[in-house]
Parts: sequence; structure tokens; C-alpha cells
Amino acid sequence: MKKLEGKIAVITGGSSGIGLATAKRFVEEGAHVVITGRREKELKEAAALIERNVTTVVGDVSRLEDLDRLYAVVKEKYGHIDILFANAGAGTIAPLAMATEAHFDQTFDVNVKGLFFTVQKALPLFKDGGSIILTSSVSNVLGLPGFSAYAASKAAVRNFARAWTMELKDRKIRVNCVSPGPIDTPALATTTGLTAEQAKQAAAQFASQIPMGRSGKPEEIAAAVTFLASDESSFITGVDLAVDGGMAQV
Amino acid sequence: MGKLDGKVAVITGGATGIGRAAAKRFIDEGAFVFIFGRRQEALDAAVAALGPNARAVKGSVSDETDLDRLYAAVKAERRTLDIVFANAGAGSQIRLGKITAEHIDETFDTNVKGTIFTVQKALPLMREGGSIILTGSSAGTTGAPAMSAYSASKAAVRNLARTWAEDLKGSGIRVNVLSPGATATELAKEALGEEGQKVFAAMTPLQRMADPAEIAAVAAFLASSDSSFMTASEVAVDGGLAQL
Repeated sequence: MKKLEGKIAVITGGSSGIGLATAKRFVEEGAHVVITGRREKELKEAAALIERNVTTVVGDVSRLEDLDRLYAVVKEKYGHIDILFANAGAGTIAPLAMATEAHFDQTFDVNVKGLFFTVQKALPLFKDGGSIILTSSVSNVLGLPGFSAYAASKAAVRNFARAWTMELKDRKIRVNCVSPGPIDTPALATTTGLTAEQAKQAAAQFASQIPMGRSGKPEEIAAAVTFLASDESSFITGVDLAVDGGMAQV
Repeated sequence: MGKLDGKVAVITGGATGIGRAAAKRFIDEGAFVFIFGRRQEALDAAVAALGPNARAVKGSVSDETDLDRLYAAVKAERRTLDIVFANAGAGSQIRLGKITAEHIDETFDTNVKGTIFTVQKALPLMREGGSIILTGSSAGTTGAPAMSAYSASKAAVRNLARTWAEDLKGSGIRVNVLSPGATATELAKEALGEEGQKVFAAMTPLQRMADPAEIAAVAAFLASSDSSFMTASEVAVDGGLAQL
């Protein structure tokens, strides 16, 4: 018996990296997924990789009208949601002395405001007893130079899980965070503003700080998210599940 | 096909409660399980229920010679070991002001010293890809009346995993802590009574106590490759009790 048989799952930031790996795993476990992302081409390519039981909606989580469109599609196609993986995130590197207002706003618009409304607007469709998983980050408890806006935004996400656990407990909806450590995804090279060489160096430096001695694979986060989405974690709510090779744990 | 096919596991405190539920789940997932506990009668009943892929060794985790016998039995029958669930624990309630040296020793001998030697003595048999799971507790991060020894011992357990993740670097063996909250084991139900169970349920955001099978499901996750990028982590399985 598959773990997510017949479940309806929405995944934001679903066109690459952790979101895409999770969408693939969810479908393997029997779910139907609706993935959203800003770039239509990447989203289509992701859907082709997932192969079946996948719907795409182009949109940006920081735009409320895009979220409305996303959930209108979900409502029309499936009528309800069992699992929400609020995973879309942004993070450019900027030291405090050089950070611009645009850098700060972009980070918080996507990671905090976008995630907040991703969850709020899902609630009318949410089935009681469902599971919500928020992508936080190992940086929510670490001091990493250049990552202050990102780390603070991810600490906010971790705390959303606490409040929402209480707000949604009567509906038996569980809310948890997953906090990945450094993961081999395109994001480090494409969205942080680093050059390819810098991204490579950053990855090597992260690996040296990780007790497991390596960075993680998107599939390893997907396995943990699948666990949080399924009944296997039926007594887990309000937690921050670190999947970080030990980076922030020791 | 189970997610622990062909794996060999040791579960201390395995005759009853969470340990017993984990033994059942591990076996359902394809593992061969050695349970370790102090009471022969409980071990016999557990093995009878668990079937041909379970073995029992009688002993106490606070006695090193008993642990030596446990691992000698594992080595003799299976040669190697993949999963250690160091789950045996002890805890009684005594308020500050009444604490005795005996109470401290009993709690720490089982929960801390017992956990350390359960793991240390397992290592020679363990292989790359192995997983060690330590039973912590929501009490390890919260304060509760009359729980000082137990809470401190479980905070110690949580920290053992941090150190061991570093000590085991390069070995391919992961170590994580599973921290249950209020769990409706037979022992807990008996100790708490109807009223006590209601109190714990009301304190828990999910408004109920855990079924031991729910803790076992998480142990199976931590034992399996589904948690392959997790080490030194603590996974709270407490219905939100210590998370808010």
C-alpha cells in the first residue's frame, strides 16, 4: 500500500530542486500533485519529468492574485487539498552593510508573506486531518554571514508552524517545518547571485561544516517531506525537522 | 518489499511499550530483531507474538556483562548489526527537596550510562549505512514538577547524539534522537490512570496521547534510508507538546 494513495497535494516552488523531487516522490506514493512556479518553461519540463498525475499553474507566491488562481484551479480540478508543501523560497546573499531594500523586500515577500498567504488561501479547500509542511532552513538557527535576511525569514517560517499548530488543531491539520541543510540544487548557482565558481566554493565550504561530510540530495529532503505528509508522522505537529546532515545540530 | 528488508536490529526495552511496538514495525518492514529487557516473562510473551524474526536476550542496560551477552548473541546468529534502538529507560517522580542519591543513580544508570554502553558495545558489529536511534523525551526540553532526574537524563541523551554524530563522522553510521511525548503504553496507562491520561491529552496540542505504533512509525523512518541525510537531529513525536 502506497503512503499517499489518492491524496491531493499542492507544492509551491515545484519546478526544480526540492519541490520537484518531492512532487516526483508524492506521485510515486500515489498522490496527485499541483505544482506551481514562476517560470512556465521550467514548470512544463518538471511536469514532463513527473510524467503523470501532475497539474501545473504558473504563478508567484508573493502575488496574492496568483495564489487565488492556483487554488481556483485546485478547486475546479479536485475540490479539496490533503497536503500542502509551502516550499517556494528566495534568497540572495547580501552582507548587512551592502544589502538593499529590494533585497530585503524580495526575501520577505516570497519567504514570509508569500508562504503566509499560500497557507491562508489553502485553508478553505483543506481537508480536516491533512498535513501542511513549510520549508524553513537550517539557517533558521545559524548565524551565516551574508544570509541575515534569509535566515530571519526562515526563522519566521519556523514560528508560523508553532502558531498554526494551535490554530488548526481543532481541524486535526498538522503543521510542521522541514529544515534542509545545504542541498545540491540549481538554486545555489542560479538564484543567490554567486558565480558558478563561487557557488562551487560555497558548497565545498558547507560540506566541511557538516558532520556527514557532504551536502544533501533533493531526494533526501523529499523522503522526509513524504514522511511528514503521510500518516507515518500522525503524532508529529509543530516541529522543525532538520534534514541537514547534522549541520545545525551539533 | 519492506523498507528494512534484510536489516538486523537491536531494541533495548523491547519487550513492552514503545520498544515492543517498534519491534513489530521493524519486523513488518523486513528486519530481524533482537529485543533486550529485564523480565523473562515479558520477553517470552513478546517473542511469541513477534514470530520467527524475533529473538530475546534477558538483561539490563546498566550491566555491561548483560550487554556483552546481547551483542555476543547478535554476532553468533547474524554477524552484523544495522540498527540500534537504544530505548530502555527508567523514571520515577521525586520533587527537589526529597531527591536521594539512589534515585539519581538509578535514573542515570539506565538512561545515560546504559545508553552510552548500549551504543559503544554495538559499534564493532555495525556497518556503513547503520542507524542508531536514542529514545529521548519531551521532558528533555521542558520543565515538569518532580521530574528533575528524568528530564536531565533525557537532555543528556539528546546531547549524546550531537557528540556521536561527530565521533561517527566518516563511518556512514547516523545517530538521531526520537523524543516521544505522552504515549499510551500499558505501563503509562496503568501509572497515570484515567484521570492522568486525560490531563496529558489536554496538555497536548493534538488533544490525545500517542499510540505506541505512532512512535514506532517514526523509529522506522529514522532506521530506514528515508532519513539518509539526518544525523544528530531530534525528532519530537509529542503531538506538539514541547514544540510551542
